[in-house]
Amino acid sequence: MSTTTIREIREIVREEPVMQPRILQALEAGPLTVPEIARAIGCPSDEVLLWVMGMRRYGKIREIKEPSRDGYFRYAAANWEVPA
Amino acid sequence: MSMDYDVLVVGSGIGGMESALKLGDMGYKVLVVEKEASVGGRMILLSKVFPTLDCASCISTPKMAATIHHPNLTVLTYSEVQGIRRDAAGRFHAKVRQKARYVDEVACTGCQQCETACTVAVPDQFNADLVARRAAYIAFPQAVPKKAVIDRQGSSPCTFACPAGIEAHGYVSLIRSGEYEKAHRLVLDATPLVGTLGRACYAPCEADCTRGSLEGTLPIRRLKRFISDRHAETGADLGIDVAEPNGRRVAVVGSGPAGLTAAWQLARKGYAVRILEAAPEPGGFLRLAIPSYRLPTEVVERDIDNVRALGVEIVTNTPVRDLAALKAEGYDAVLVATGTPRSTDLGVPGEDRLGVLGGPEFLRKVKLGQPVDVAGRRVVVVGGGNVAMDAARVALRLGAASVTVAYRRGRFEMPAHHVEADDAEKEGVRFSFQVAPKEVEGDASGAVSGLRCLRMVLGEPDASGRRRPEPIPGSEFVLPCEVIIGAIGMTPDTAAFASQVGVERRGTLRADPKTLQTDVPYIFAAGDVVNGATDITRAVGEGRRAAHMIDRWLTAGTMDGFDLRLPVVDKAQVLARQQQYTLRPPTPEGVTLSAAPLDFSEVEAPLSEQEAHEAAGRCMDCGVCSGCHECVNVCPVDGCIDLNARDRESEVEVGAVVVSTGYKLFAADLKPQYGFGKYRNVITGMQMDRLLAPTRPFNTILRPGDGKVPERIAYVMCTGSRDETVDNPLCSKFCCMYSIKQNQLIMGALPLADVTVHYMDIRAAGKRYDEFYEQSKSMGANYIKGRVAKITEKEDGNLVLRYEDIESGGQLVEAEYDLVVLAVGVQPNRDAARLFVGEELAEDPYYYVAEPDEDLNPGLTSIPGVFVAGAASGAKDIVDSILHAGAAAAQAAAHLERTQAKAKVPA
Repeated sequence: MSTTTIREIREIVREEPVMQPRILQALEAGPLTVPEIARAIGCPSDEVLLWVMGMRRYGKIREIKEPSRDGYFRYAAANWEVPA
Repeated sequence: MSMDYDVLVVGSGIGGMESALKLGDMGYKVLVVEKEASVGGRMILLSKVFPTLDCASCISTPKMAATIHHPNLTVLTYSEVQGIRRDAAGRFHAKVRQKARYVDEVACTGCQQCETACTVAVPDQFNADLVARRAAYIAFPQAVPKKAVIDRQGSSPCTFACPAGIEAHGYVSLIRSGEYEKAHRLVLDATPLVGTLGRACYAPCEADCTRGSLEGTLPIRRLKRFISDRHAETGADLGIDVAEPNGRRVAVVGSGPAGLTAAWQLARKGYAVRILEAAPEPGGFLRLAIPSYRLPTEVVERDIDNVRALGVEIVTNTPVRDLAALKAEGYDAVLVATGTPRSTDLGVPGEDRLGVLGGPEFLRKVKLGQPVDVAGRRVVVVGGGNVAMDAARVALRLGAASVTVAYRRGRFEMPAHHVEADDAEKEGVRFSFQVAPKEVEGDASGAVSGLRCLRMVLGEPDASGRRRPEPIPGSEFVLPCEVIIGAIGMTPDTAAFASQVGVERRGTLRADPKTLQTDVPYIFAAGDVVNGATDITRAVGEGRRAAHMIDRWLTAGTMDGFDLRLPVVDKAQVLARQQQYTLRPPTPEGVTLSAAPLDFSEVEAPLSEQEAHEAAGRCMDCGVCSGCHECVNVCPVDGCIDLNARDRESEVEVGAVVVSTGYKLFAADLKPQYGFGKYRNVITGMQMDRLLAPTRPFNTILRPGDGKVPERIAYVMCTGSRDETVDNPLCSKFCCMYSIKQNQLIMGALPLADVTVHYMDIRAAGKRYDEFYEQSKSMGANYIKGRVAKITEKEDGNLVLRYEDIESGGQLVEAEYDLVVLAVGVQPNRDAARLFVGEELAEDPYYYVAEPDEDLNPGLTSIPGVFVAGAASGAKDIVDSILHAGAAAAQAAAHLERTQAKAKVPA
């Protein structure tokens, strides 16, 4: 059973502006899933999802079409382009 | 007798809208009051409706638009009814508060640029907290009216505490967003002295920081220093708006914090400003007193360059004695801001001996590089204020053999900031408390040889609130020393002005505390020359006020409008927004002190970018809106956003009231065995409806724990309804049907997903409801009869449900799912009963609005003339709510006709 204590939504959401640059930095190398971003920045996946969806809502990142075989979408910086 | 409206409808969910529209169609004038920023209630937030699977938005929005545009309806959104009283004639008087939107509802184009620019993220209640919105926001994409609102709950304590009027929360919020240059500009909006205040301010903002109630305050002052240093490093333009020259001239006498700030603000308004400074260097106390280890000279000069950059001319070595002459020279107004440059005399014999200096005089000499002979000598500093601490620490750095501060009261009564006293002690300054000077002793050459003192005892508190020192007879002793620095106070140098403007007994200038105007209308006075020695932030605030008032006076405006701060938010309420807080270590102090320092290098280290970013990230957004002004800056409509707007209250008279305040959803965390709030992949039915809606918060149905597309989804029915353990024995009536609806939508959106419903019994009573249920089963949804006892979470976020499978012999089973949806029930909204004053709106045994004659007269309440519509009187689905609201409208119309007809009958 997971022993991680989850934090209150308000507290996590409040940190979105702080986490944005870290998430965008993690995405510089290319699109990542939420768990991959979480590993890259060292934060829980549930918190990363909140930040990622907030950033998606305000146009900072976007999803790549179709989830992977294991059921996760990948997310990229809004200005990311598929390498030629 | 005419009324303002025939009917007041409280709430604009589907029931409220229906009642209002029906009454409006009948010709009645209706006032609709809605607490949210849009009409529409909960229905507009749903994905689709059952059993037709019509799009909830598609069928709601025409009704919402009709409500807003109906000629007989007046709709106040973002407003609250604060009390309704019925008079003897049966009419109702309602107090209505229109909450400030801070956005002009007419001018707003709904472009959302304010929302995109906003730097404060909060949970989005319209998306059931699944995603963030901004403090500036439009409720949801189909909002009617589609106008922005700014969630601004008051002044944040840090901002409110700043005497300089700096938007502390605003610049912290911008730093958190990585917008360092914008943060710098926000401080510049108040004062050019960003670097100075970033170092030498005593930070009343930090004393009031709510985070201080947890693990420690934010380093707000050091954050200001960070943006100042960063700006200096990048060499960016100031980026400040400056008005075109207006042809008027203002003379500012004195170049301390008040004078510089006033000049800066006046220059920004288009005035030609000249600062006249008596000293050889500008900056006043900042440049000529505060030691460089606290405030480097180059930082002050950098701030003064900000003022010069706006075209302000600074003339030094120019003492002003004749203020009227400045008027004659063509200045339209004069501001006197000469501070308190003179030391207060010790008032003891021998004060004129060689080796006795005033504190400000001593500090000034050092700052100007003039010789002061303290090396190798024993120094006594008399006084307990900040100047005394500065003088003592400077003397140490100049090589004094010893430095002793002699103060007539005790440590706790010292007016010096406690940090200054602590730091002085750590550097080797000695303190001799409760001693007062009696005489300066000297040698034959006239030089100081010691300070004869009296020991003091502390008596009763005096006017300052501090205990009064009283001499102990026979306690005389001598502190041997060669240098005495008197730092017992500072006074203005205003003798030259006495014949021109009013001067108080202490030498301060007399000026109106609000307008800062002296006895001579064109002469204003601000800062320490009016108030006596205070501190930099107060002087800056006075400079801002003076500039505002001078501008008002010269443009024949009213002499007001300066302090428009909202009331400060209640810290207890801020803390109560969360049940628990993750403690985050405060930023370590940056001061490094050494015993007996020998140079003037800065003692406090700057924050690194990472430290600044993380420190700003601890901000709790007390006022919600930070006051960063980014919304104002990006709004394409000038004047549309007014962050100083106020709530408006009014009273209306109506003939009838329709209460349509809806219901509340059961708080799922009250069933702890289901893990809501503890396991992220346990969500509520309302959250699932948002995930299924066209305006969903995620890109598709994802589980909130990690963003995975769920393959196995379970529903737990009757969560918080039909459940005596949570005091809600009632069936919520529509949970079964919305769950069945969601089952179908999930299977459409995720064809590979398995959906399992754990139920007690399915209540599908209604036209085509049972068929809808059967359709769900035929699509593949699995229905298991039996209560779920417990949910546990696995390491991978999957959830294990332990339940009783009644139809398989009652065995206890465990099953694993990716996502669990709790079909939460509804609860009464008891706000309805609180609407009325003077008489009680009766509730039924389950706390819904009672309908005493619900069988034959649905909609009637216990108060004649008050009617209830929709789910305020009990759980109803959309169809039933509309029917009930229609009934309430008919009851209200009948009441109005009856009472109006009665009024027309001749006596």
